[in-house]
Order: sequence, then C-alpha cells, then structure tokens
Amino acid sequence: MFLVAVSRVFKFAFQSFFRNFWLSVVTVAIIALSLFSISFLLMINILTQHVLFVVQERTQVYIDLTAEASADQAGILAGELKKLLSVKEAAFITPEQTLANFKERHQNNPLMIESIEALDVNPFSGSIKISVNDISDFPAILQELSKSEYSEFLEIEDQEFTESKLLVERISEYSQKIQRIFLFISLVFIIISILVVFNTIQIGIYTHREEIGIMKLVGASNSFVRLPFLIEGFMYSLIGIVILLLFIYPFLTFIQPYIDNFFKEYSLNLTAALNDNFFKVWGTELLIGVVITTASSFLAIRRYINK
Amino acid sequence: MINIKNVTKFYKPSTYALKAVSLDIAPGEFVSVVGQSGTGKTSLIKLIIAEERPTSGQIIIGGWDITNIHPKEVPYLRRQIGVVFQDFKLLQKKTVFENVAFALETCGSSRSKIVNVIPQVLKIVGLEDKVDRYPHQLSGGEQQRVVIARSLVHKPKLIVADEPTGNLDSINAREIIDLLKKINELGTTVVLVTHDREVVNNLKKRVVTVDDGQIISDQSRGRYVL
Repeated sequence: MFLVAVSRVFKFAFQSFFRNFWLSVVTVAIIALSLFSISFLLMINILTQHVLFVVQERTQVYIDLTAEASADQAGILAGELKKLLSVKEAAFITPEQTLANFKERHQNNPLMIESIEALDVNPFSGSIKISVNDISDFPAILQELSKSEYSEFLEIEDQEFTESKLLVERISEYSQKIQRIFLFISLVFIIISILVVFNTIQIGIYTHREEIGIMKLVGASNSFVRLPFLIEGFMYSLIGIVILLLFIYPFLTFIQPYIDNFFKEYSLNLTAALNDNFFKVWGTELLIGVVITTASSFLAIRRYINK
Repeated sequence: MINIKNVTKFYKPSTYALKAVSLDIAPGEFVSVVGQSGTGKTSLIKLIIAEERPTSGQIIIGGWDITNIHPKEVPYLRRQIGVVFQDFKLLQKKTVFENVAFALETCGSSRSKIVNVIPQVLKIVGLEDKVDRYPHQLSGGEQQRVVIARSLVHKPKLIVADEPTGNLDSINAREIIDLLKKINELGTTVVLVTHDREVVNNLKKRVVTVDDGQIISDQSRGRYVL
C-alpha cells in the first residue's frame, strides 16, 4: 500500500512535469538562471578573497641593519628570526642587492639613477626582509627585535612597522567591507531568485488548481495531493543544477582570459577553484534550489489544498 | 443515510445561505433538491461533502457525525460519497481510463483492483469503447458519464449530483438522469440538485424545494413547484 502510494506520487510528478512540458522548461530555465547568478556572485566572492589573500601574503617588511653589522652577523640574525613561529620568512639582503633593487625599481626615473650614481659609495646598508604568517604578529616580532642583543645591529623604526601594519589593516578592512557588500548583494540576489522562482511555481500550481480540486474531491489525502508537486519542485532544482553544470564550465573557460588580464598575477583559475570545492559548491546550490522550490511549492499549494 | 438537523450556514458579513434546515434522507432514496439560483442548494451539497462546515446544527452521513469533521478525515468521507458536478471536473490531460482510475489511484488502490473495477464502471455508463479518449474528444453527455463512472469506483452508498444536466442538451440530460436512476435502482442513494423543471417532473421521485435558505416543500412524489 505504502509502496503503491509512493510510486503513484512519483508517477503523478513525472506526468505533471512532462504533460506541462513548456511550463516545466520555463521553470527550470528560471531556476537555472537564478542559480547561475548566485554562482556568479559566489565566484566573484572567491576571486576577491583570493586577491586579498595574495596581497596580504606578499606584504613584507624590511628592517635596516646598522653600518656595524657584518654579513655574518646579519646571516645569524636572519637565522634566529626564522626560528620564531610567527615568522614565515627572514632573509638577509646585502647592501649591493638593496642598491640593485633600488636601481631596478627606479629604472624609468633617470634623475633618481643619476643621483645615486653621483655618490661614490653605496648609501644603503643591508637589511633583513621579513614576512609573517599573520600581520597581527608584527608587534610581537618588533618587541623581539628590540632586545639588546639585536639592537646594535638593527635600525628599528617603529614607523616602518606601523605603516606596514596599517597597510595590512586597511587591506583587512577592505576585505571585510567587500565581504559585507557581497553578502548584501548575494542576499538581494537570493531574495530576487526566491521571488522569481516562487512566482513561477505559483503560476505552475495555479494551472493545476483544477486537478488539485479534483484530487481532493475524489478523496485524496493532503499529503498525496502535495507530494507530487514537491517532487516536481525537486526535479526542477535537479535539472536546473544539471543545466547550470553544463553551461558554467564553458562560461568559466570563456571568461578566464579576461579575469587573468584584469587581475594579472593576482588571478585565480576559477575552474580549478570550482573543482576543488565541487561537492561543497554544487551541494549548496542544490540545497538552495531544493529549499526554494519545495518551500515555494508547499506555500503555493496551501491555498488550494485546504478546501 | 443523511440526517441534517437544524443546520444554519452563515457567510460574513450578512448572508444566510441556509436557515435552520432539517432534512432526513433514507438509504436507497432518490431525492431531487430544487430551487432557484442562490437559494442555498449548493451550500447544502458543500456541507454534505464537508467542503464547508455548518455555522450551527448537526450533519450525519451514514451514521458519521461530520459536523466538525477533522480536515484529515475529509478524504475518507469523500471516498464514501460520489460527487457529480455541472462543470464535469475532468482532467483534460488524462484519458477516460486515467480520469476514472485517478479516483482509485489517489486512494492507494492496487493496480489489479483498478484494472478490474474500471471496465465495470465504464460499462455501467456505456463508455467501455472510449477508454483511450481524452475529455475534449467526448461530447458533454459522455464527459458527464465519465464523471459518474469516476464517482462509482469507490462503490459509494451516496451520490450527490449538483446540476449534472446543466451543461447538456435535453437528450443527453435525459440519458444522464436515466443513468442516475439506474444507479439508484442498484441501491445507491442519489441526491440530485437541479433547477430543471422537466427533469424533476419526469422523475416522479421525492422533491425537496429550497427557497431563501429554507425548505419550503418536501413531497415524496413531487413536482417542481416554484
């Protein structure tokens, strides 16, 4: 009896889907488009997060060495710094490297190059390049470097740390702002998608109102009336996801060169990023689709079922 | 079969569809409920099939007090009452067989029961050779026969027909009434709601006349008196 009822519920859902084929096609298309807009937002969000992460990763601080510091001492100091858990990388930059870096950085500024070459000696002392795992660790490192055993080798300027810290804090602040904006836009998109899908399903169920009335008239229980529509809603979501999957990868391949061109070295391979989170992304999308369609069907049918 | 005791149906803001109506219909009776439009006939039907609840009074169908029937129990009541409407209420995208089978399918009947019962009821209504037709391929009279066949699949003790001939020409109308008489002769109680004078006068059965929400006449072999 139970299996018979279940098989009939599925049969009615499939019949309804195929016998109202064009309405089903329109509903699936709207769901696919809604999910596409959500996916698109999600990808932009992933991309922004990635860019912010890379910017933060590449933030480095240079600490100048005093003229008294020898190359050996600097090397030992860099080695000591590397032992600190919060330090990701510490490297000794020789005065020659610093000069070469300076010239490279200002190669398009002849005045700067002439000025530096006018000097007989290399004006730069060596420095230690430090990158950290977390920007908030900088104050602790600063304190470590302030110890007397290091102080004679280092020209620590608080300002340098402060500027770097401020830069990263600003990045972090932007990151949070961007996340909030994306959250807002995503919510707006999701609400619009819910309303569009809800309306489409409402129209679909409106066309079935007579059938619902007849089902009730001949003695069908509420759950028997409701279930085929809920299953139909699930089918819409599932097919919508499959269509989205078929279109999203060619779309990503198409836009990847533009993304690479725009973000340059900060770019991210979206297809790979999507594949890395395949089940998470598509599972979430399917869940969103199923919740929207079944909730819409449930609410839309309620009007006709209580007769 | 039907015991309606002092039933009033009030619609907000100020309409009384039925006013303290009492009516008893015995098993196996054929009763015509007549009256002009808007006098409360359809409200009476809606109360019998529990589509509406009475404002006051009591309704008992086949010994079952449905006055305050729980919504979950309504399907079980409907399976015991065959309902026929003027506008047929057939599913246009289902064949004759599927439309009739629908009533059994929605109630969880087995496939073997469906295959067994449907040819029988289609034979009763004379549509055994049109099982694969869709409603739009049938005449109005044939569509109403499908509805009657559908109402018979649960072998109901009661059939309620609300203006079943309203959309039919006189020949088809007579055939439908003859069909209802035949079903009644097989033991099923029939409540026919109509305002068709000729139908009522030819039947020579019990006639209950409703006017302004009240029963103004109840004759065992009555005529259309309004």
